[in-house]
Amino acid sequence: MATAEIPYQETVPLHHPKTWLGKWVFSQDHKVIAVQYGITAMAVGLVALVLSQLMRIQLAWPDAMPWFGPDEYLSAITMHGMIMVIYLLTAFLLGAFGNFCVPLMCGARDMVFPFVNMLSYWVYLVSVIVLLAVYPLMLFTDVQPTGAGWTLYPPQTITAGTPGADWGIVLMLASLAIFIVAFTMGGLNYITTILQARTRGMTLMRMPLTVWGIFIATFLGLIAFPALFVSAVMMLLDRLIGTSFFMPAIVSLGQKLSYSGGQPLLFQHLFWFFGHPEVYIVALPAFGVVSDLISVHARKNIFGYRMMVWAIVAIGVLSLIVWAHHMYVAGMHPYFGFFFATTTLIIAVPTAIKVYNWTLTLWRANIKLTVPMLFALAFVLTFIMGGITGLFLGNVIIDIPLSDTYFVVAHFHMVMGVSPILAIFGGIYHWYPKLTGRMLNDTVGKWHFYITFIGTYVIYFPMHYLGFVGVPRRYYETALGEVYPDFYPASAHDLNVFITCAALVVGAAQILFIYNLVHSFFWGRKAGANPWGANSLEWRTPDTPPSHGNWGEQLPSVHRWAYDYGVPGEETDHIPQDVPRRAAS
Amino acid sequence: MTEATVPNQESVFTSTARDWSSDITTFKGVPWGKAMMWIFLVSDTFIFTCFLVSYMTVRMTVTDPWPNPSEVFALAIPHELFGWQFLEAPIPVPLLLIAIMTFILISSSGTMAMAVNMGYQRNKKGVIWLMLATAAFGASFVGMQAFEWYKLIVEEGIRPWGNSMGAAQFGSFFFMVTGFHGLHVSAGVIYLVIVALRVGLGHYDKTNFEIVEITGLYWHFVDLVWVFIFALFYLW
Amino acid sequence: MATEGQQHPIKIYVLIWILLFVFSAVSYASDFLDDGVFRASVILLFMILKAAFIVAIFMHMKWERFALIFAILLPPLALLVLLTLMAIEADYAWATRVEYMGEPIAPEPNPPPTHQHKESGH
Repeated sequence: MATAEIPYQETVPLHHPKTWLGKWVFSQDHKVIAVQYGITAMAVGLVALVLSQLMRIQLAWPDAMPWFGPDEYLSAITMHGMIMVIYLLTAFLLGAFGNFCVPLMCGARDMVFPFVNMLSYWVYLVSVIVLLAVYPLMLFTDVQPTGAGWTLYPPQTITAGTPGADWGIVLMLASLAIFIVAFTMGGLNYITTILQARTRGMTLMRMPLTVWGIFIATFLGLIAFPALFVSAVMMLLDRLIGTSFFMPAIVSLGQKLSYSGGQPLLFQHLFWFFGHPEVYIVALPAFGVVSDLISVHARKNIFGYRMMVWAIVAIGVLSLIVWAHHMYVAGMHPYFGFFFATTTLIIAVPTAIKVYNWTLTLWRANIKLTVPMLFALAFVLTFIMGGITGLFLGNVIIDIPLSDTYFVVAHFHMVMGVSPILAIFGGIYHWYPKLTGRMLNDTVGKWHFYITFIGTYVIYFPMHYLGFVGVPRRYYETALGEVYPDFYPASAHDLNVFITCAALVVGAAQILFIYNLVHSFFWGRKAGANPWGANSLEWRTPDTPPSHGNWGEQLPSVHRWAYDYGVPGEETDHIPQDVPRRAAS
Repeated sequence: MTEATVPNQESVFTSTARDWSSDITTFKGVPWGKAMMWIFLVSDTFIFTCFLVSYMTVRMTVTDPWPNPSEVFALAIPHELFGWQFLEAPIPVPLLLIAIMTFILISSSGTMAMAVNMGYQRNKKGVIWLMLATAAFGASFVGMQAFEWYKLIVEEGIRPWGNSMGAAQFGSFFFMVTGFHGLHVSAGVIYLVIVALRVGLGHYDKTNFEIVEITGLYWHFVDLVWVFIFALFYLW
Repeated sequence: MATEGQQHPIKIYVLIWILLFVFSAVSYASDFLDDGVFRASVILLFMILKAAFIVAIFMHMKWERFALIFAILLPPLALLVLLTLMAIEADYAWATRVEYMGEPIAPEPNPPPTHQHKESGH
């Protein structure tokens, strides 16, 4: 063997900012950028939460808000979906957790290109502003937010009659394109950091699963977002200069439009070529975070670490060839259903491996029901629940009667709405002490957990029933009530009222969380360097919260994996990654 | 560091497994910037391929006839220049301009490859001049593309939303794909000039001039995309 | 991380340069062939050859370690899946269009571009 490799970051000095602005606003420190990402994502997520509450109120009490008509309802649905999937979940899991965890857990001083990383946040902020600009514009002009549904299927997206078909959709597509630029800048950084800037002894197979989840998810993002970018560009051209990429010859409101010959299905294919990996872009980091939380708080090594890693990789690969299971009723090639149903069901295998491994990690473990652990357990339950309905929907024959009903709504909210959010909450409760040096309040946290967890089940369980009854998704209540008074069976409407009540409670409970975040920041209990007794490197920084450069003078050296909890024959119940192995006696 | 610089002496599997299971870096001897550029290029590949797959799908789907690119992009060799007549009549040559553009872009790739080589020989003058030559080739490529657009729009009346020769999507995809590629070339020209200037100012004197190779990767990628556009759009 | 980087004799670049010129000339010449499978194969063959030489020599892929080569060349395989499936799909869509909307129609001049949202109803 030749001379040992020297980490490049030991040879270059880190440039410390001098000014307040450089430290906290235009900061190139990955931890500050993580917080900026997190706060922005949470703020925009609150907007989406309010929108969902408005929709629920409309469904339960159609007459309560006369200003919230069908157009507003459709716009709210679109905005809610897009914000939650992209601007909250993707941005939080990769932007906030990715930025915070990757350098700390890999033992790097910072991301490889901190300036590009900072730019990533600011461009993301621009995309959020462009997205939300539609609301102030609504007050002064007749611009409406687009109401095409978050999937933005043409031709209805840009034909008259859909709210926001003139300018709302332009803002939405522009914002998406800007977001993709931001994501690319951040994503390149995360991947290069993980691949090229680890510390001594940190092999890929010693990385915590959080980093693995973020790694594969980011890579998926880098190769899936281009499809969305391309379709956004093409749709913008269709809308703005009248090309016909996606627009067939079409008669709209009695007028033959100037379009001809486009292929609407192409959009759906491109969209889901992005959209399905997107599900795993959101799910894989959540898997990783939950794996770490379960192992730390159950004081036991993760069961089958290698299988967990390979399952993440396998899910990532498979996710690229399952996209058209979202399109069984779209009128695509009839044989595609067979292909995509098969690949979809194959994905259940690595996913099931993960679930079994979580369960086996818990088996006879020393489970500590801390707040992060509660959220992690809730994630596993919710994910199983949403995943199993996914198996139903993945089969063409069962999907056809259920497609576009509330069954689908319940499925994807369980599996990629609630589950990742629970993982995010768990992660925040877990890493907040390292980030701020103070613990979050336990009692408030438990209240927040129980209301959120039970509440989401109360919300989404009945929706499966609504789906069986045949209630279509995205429908506004009164409009149908007037035209077809018996459209909603009484039982369905009563359920809607019930769901709305639960949703209002869950929504209000998030105030507890925000209160907890703010209050604990100033008055929380001091945390110390390693309150959970965790092994991974981020708990081994010389300062808490970690200072710029993370590691002081010397980069840590890694000697073992991150899961040495309760090792038989050892003195302590956990052995951090940078503790050398004992010489064999 | 000998380990990092001796490439691929082991078998494929041993080498790959060793690198991927090692600590610190996975791509041995690859600077951060180069790794990042490679990964970016993978991402960009997906963008261009999505454009080209869309082009294929729509072209296969439209029922209107597709205009014959070899006629649309024909260019006549003029029969007189500055009042001097040397031919009886203009000779139309199919795809003449495109062929010239292709050769120009390949030449720019050649000069770029030489610039990278000069960089590793620490020949700063060579790097600067070859990079500027590359940029000049790139700029002339963009210029010719502008001329081609002008000819198509003004003389042949092709618009992104329609044309008189057949499927409307012909113009749509032509302007979108070549426009997007042209943007990449223009960005590349700016990038080349900036890097060449910074090399001249001595910003990279302490490094190994990997920046030249990184810039080169991007530039060759732009050439690579043109290979596909040339074959699939103009020739097909 | 200081390495000697990618140093190779200039000769090979010149050689590839000339080769690319020749390949381009051949693919350009294919424009004078009759449409058909042969022409399509010539176009595709030389496209792939050119791309391979650019990536292998100009972008130095040939001299990179296998770890990098695999990391760069494997992900685009997903695109081949997309490409194949979209070709099948497009074929099917074309068939349904012809089936339900009649034979392919002769080109008719497109109407002047009018923006749909600015059109007023009758």
